[in-house]
Amino acid sequence: MNPSRRPGQPAQPGGRRQDAPGGGTAELAGLLALTARGDHAAFTAVYSHTAAPVYGLVRRVLRDPAQSEEVTQEVLLEVWRTASRFDPQRGSAMAWLLTLAHRRAVDRVRSGQAAAQRDQQAITVPAGYDVVAEEAESRIEAQQVRRCLAALTDLQRESVTLAYYGGYTYREVASLLGVPVGTVKTRMRDGLIRLRDCLGAGQ
Amino acid sequence: MRLRRDDPHTLAGAYALDALTGAEKARFERHLAGCPACRLEATGLAETTARLAAAAAVEPPPQLREQVLAQATRTRQLPPAAPVGRRAGGWRRAPRLAVAAAGCFLLAALALGGLLMSSQHRLGQEQARSRAITAVLNAPDATMTTARARMGGTATVVMSHTDHALVLTTARLPAPPPAMRYQVWLMGPEGPRPAGMLPPAHQGMTAPVIVTGVAAGDMVGVTMEPASGSPRPTSPPVIMLVLRS
Repeated sequence: MNPSRRPGQPAQPGGRRQDAPGGGTAELAGLLALTARGDHAAFTAVYSHTAAPVYGLVRRVLRDPAQSEEVTQEVLLEVWRTASRFDPQRGSAMAWLLTLAHRRAVDRVRSGQAAAQRDQQAITVPAGYDVVAEEAESRIEAQQVRRCLAALTDLQRESVTLAYYGGYTYREVASLLGVPVGTVKTRMRDGLIRLRDCLGAGQ
Repeated sequence: MRLRRDDPHTLAGAYALDALTGAEKARFERHLAGCPACRLEATGLAETTARLAAAAAVEPPPQLREQVLAQATRTRQLPPAAPVGRRAGGWRRAPRLAVAAAGCFLLAALALGGLLMSSQHRLGQEQARSRAITAVLNAPDATMTTARARMGGTATVVMSHTDHALVLTTARLPAPPPAMRYQVWLMGPEGPRPAGMLPPAHQGMTAPVIVTGVAAGDMVGVTMEPASGSPRPTSPPVIMLVLRS
């Protein structure tokens, strides 16, 4: 772990930088298997690899720093608690973990007062794509994502980023963008598929 | 390709983005269960959203690390595929195994555990469980403890302190009455914690049960409980094992 990293700084996902984000994932799967057996050293390594992507994602969705810390802690403890449930045949360790994180963040943002505050912020906050651009100038991974997001149509990009970084349901996205729900559904799928292909090709 | 408005495949993107909720999400998940092509797409899209997350990575405040790691030491884990709730009908018959001493009990129970596989469990889970059991047995600090039960029978535990895990087998415990099962407990300074149910015995022996989250100072106890388990023991232990430190 790099002790000179300061909080709030954009982070290299995975701790040690690999050439592709999937490069460290076999190691992470092994660390999860050890974690499942109660290995605290392994879990410490899991934290080092994943706390920044989890916190960054949660912070993007929730905005509030205190809530973000709380949910990040919940997510990582859920990883500790359920590490044995990770099945390497169902996808990468990082995807398993970040899916867990995104669901928690979205559940939190959709409950209670958070929803009211969020609607206020939605009016003034630019599309998620721009926010990625601000904080991610020099990181290879973020550059790739920004480039691939830029290659989407406006509607595809906004559907994907409002849902993912904003935590909106597809109906809410349709309402925010003023387009039919059917259109949003297909744009979300098309947008993700094109992102997948673009990011895959970039590796 | 034009997709019909009500085609479930149109929801794959929204699902991957957690933009599907409630009944629609449940319906889509049921669809996924029966559609291998959709599951494959869903897996791929989940990898893509993970890239979106990684692009947003930000270092959390430094104090979070100690908080999380400390809380983990106080948090129980789900055991790796412990054989809870298996029914005897799903098990293949085990060959006869000679039993002579505590060491042989354990080897025999291991063989039993390896041979008897519920047809309902995924092969991967079985392999993971076997690996986990083997790992405890092969741990450099593994210690074995055996104890006799008051009403007959023995229990053997192999424990690894560094793994915080143990493997438990039993032999010749009295068969529980109908609707009752043996339940395993970790007994620490803060009271007993449920640690799984013993599977039904075959030829007097129970297949190895792995228990994780074992803390220093814990003892292992086994009580008779209703088959669905109890949050706290409802009767005195039939057997207790003190774990060597």
